[in-house]
Amino acid sequence: MQEFIYQSGWGAFTVLLLMQIPFILFFLFVVFRQGSKKPSPSPTIDTSITRLKNIWMVAVVTIFVVINVVSIKYFPSVVEAQAEASGLEIHPVNVTAESWSYDISQTEFKVGQTVRFTAKSTDTVHGFGLYHPTGKILFTMMLIPGIGDASLVHTFKDSGTYKIRCLEYCGASHHEMSDELVVTASSN
Amino acid sequence: MTIAISMVRRTPFFGKMFNVDTSTGLEEINAWPALMIMASFIWLAVSLLLGIALPATQILELDSSLFYTAMTAHGAAMAFPFIFQLMVGVGLHRIGGCVGKPVTGILVPGFFWFMNIGGILFTIAILMGLKISYAVMYPLPVVGIQTGQWSMTSLIIGFSGIALILVSVIVLYPVQIIKMLFFDKQREELLLSPRSLKDPGMLGMAMAAFVLLIMGAPLLTVASAVLLYLYNILPFAWIAWAADPTVFQFVFYIFAHNLMEAMAIMIISAVYATLPLYLADGTRKLYSDRIASLALWILLVTSVTSFFHHFFTMYPALPSALAYHGNIMSYGTAIGAALTIFTISATIWKHGIRAEPGLMAVLMGFVLYILDGASAIITSNISWSFQLHGTMWQAGHTMAVLVAVSMMWIGVLIHHYPVITGRVIDKASGNWFVTLYTIGAIGAGTAFLAAGAAGMPRRFASWNQEGWMVYGYLILIFGIILTLSFVVLFINLNKSKEVASAVPSGPSSMPAE
Repeated sequence: MQEFIYQSGWGAFTVLLLMQIPFILFFLFVVFRQGSKKPSPSPTIDTSITRLKNIWMVAVVTIFVVINVVSIKYFPSVVEAQAEASGLEIHPVNVTAESWSYDISQTEFKVGQTVRFTAKSTDTVHGFGLYHPTGKILFTMMLIPGIGDASLVHTFKDSGTYKIRCLEYCGASHHEMSDELVVTASSN
Repeated sequence: MTIAISMVRRTPFFGKMFNVDTSTGLEEINAWPALMIMASFIWLAVSLLLGIALPATQILELDSSLFYTAMTAHGAAMAFPFIFQLMVGVGLHRIGGCVGKPVTGILVPGFFWFMNIGGILFTIAILMGLKISYAVMYPLPVVGIQTGQWSMTSLIIGFSGIALILVSVIVLYPVQIIKMLFFDKQREELLLSPRSLKDPGMLGMAMAAFVLLIMGAPLLTVASAVLLYLYNILPFAWIAWAADPTVFQFVFYIFAHNLMEAMAIMIISAVYATLPLYLADGTRKLYSDRIASLALWILLVTSVTSFFHHFFTMYPALPSALAYHGNIMSYGTAIGAALTIFTISATIWKHGIRAEPGLMAVLMGFVLYILDGASAIITSNISWSFQLHGTMWQAGHTMAVLVAVSMMWIGVLIHHYPVITGRVIDKASGNWFVTLYTIGAIGAGTAFLAAGAAGMPRRFASWNQEGWMVYGYLILIFGIILTLSFVVLFINLNKSKEVASAVPSGPSSMPAE
């Protein structure tokens, strides 16, 4: 469940709807209910509203803290540290992006292989977005020339052809800037 | 001032909407704002057509260069000449009436001419082939010349236009606000609804002015250096520091992110000022000025350095400490938004509201703003950013915040419209505008975010793969609904009736502010 929430766009979309739908229902209820009548100010309302304010702010802060604390284990720095600590062999793969192609040092992998993609751009801002064979985006890196390499550790879990797309607008053929990685089943 | 009134009167169709009422003696706070608002609506009409063209070029499988041209022109027209100019027009009129100071002098027409000539120059450059998106994507403008995508002439014209726009946004507007708030002499006859800086309805205007001036200064410096090189005034060696892609990207996002936040602070402040005027029991006070001001201060402090969330996916080129800081600060802005939700909801709950079109536009714009805020904090989490950055989620967030802010400003405009023009809009038609706009904006925004969740790249002229085209159809349908809402508004403004004939009680029913 956590992996779905933090490692997929649809997980993010689900959390988004969980925030948006209660708000829109509540706020529209308040606006349309109070738009149709003329109440007079009441001190008893103030007491209950103050209590609601405290509950609301505690709930908001709690939700934000939980969302962010749980997400830490999916931070790239944490994933990388865990891979290194586990003693897994991390295969280095170098990627150089330029308008409108990629130069990738290795394009064939085995299922279960852990790879460190180290990428840079030589001309303008490019992206390196890796897509699962099902079309799901796995991660994206932004490559700004001159700032240093972007780097990310990823373990291939499924076989198939993974698509790479540029996700930073880079000119007339931006939409054609793509490549592929092939992941085959492990022999073990 | 006379020039402004004359220009509005001479402009076909749009001029009729904003013809200034000269019978009240308030031309000094109405004339230039009316011209700016009218000009912003002309840019809006152009950008709406370009916005519809974006999905249309993909659905009809037209040449990708048309998509990128429409994309750059749409963003350029929408962000600054429409929304920012609308905000400045309505905002200056508001401040003028609240502090009793004229909206005249060199800075005001300076803003108008710089913004609109800048917008026209940038558009000409785009038509000449410069396709750099509204985010410029530096060093793409230079790389585009090297790879033969566009000419040096188009770049110089485009950058000249951008420079004029930046001067108007970063210098002329904030300095005018500061001048009016702190220096100019108050005149009784222009004071419609007195407000001080202790009032959250005015505090945000001052905050935003300082944010724009301070956070925009680095970008203006870098852009000026690059422009002086392009004009052959300075040798490259002198501006090499400014031409570094990293320098440009950082100063751009320090400005662009805080520009959006400043616009949000400014409009939330205007909401705090407008809502009390429509309370059903006539209280004319927010539930708590203290909590409202606290929300603005939290927004101000947390938003300044939350811009690091634009760079999470550079890891490890962006130091982790800065990434964590950006993550935390982004959620800090949401704490400010949560307090704002409380203040507005509590005010409405306690006092009731008169559901006039102007207020409903403000409140539905606020709904859109909060819905977008949720999408913004999701993508401001480091883990999610690696799945969402560079996708349509980001495009949806940008579009949604601009659509929300413009809806709120249009609501404030409808509130001030009788004072500016001496006329009122039709209520039923106004409600239709609000309804269509809300449906169109929520639908289009959700379609964008779903497309992003599905991994669809933004600024990408190849939608017909991976089943992404369904989002294209949804964006087109809701985009047309959004456009229709403006058609309804334009017709309504054109057919607006004089206050005396529309409201039996006459001018006393006009908004006090």
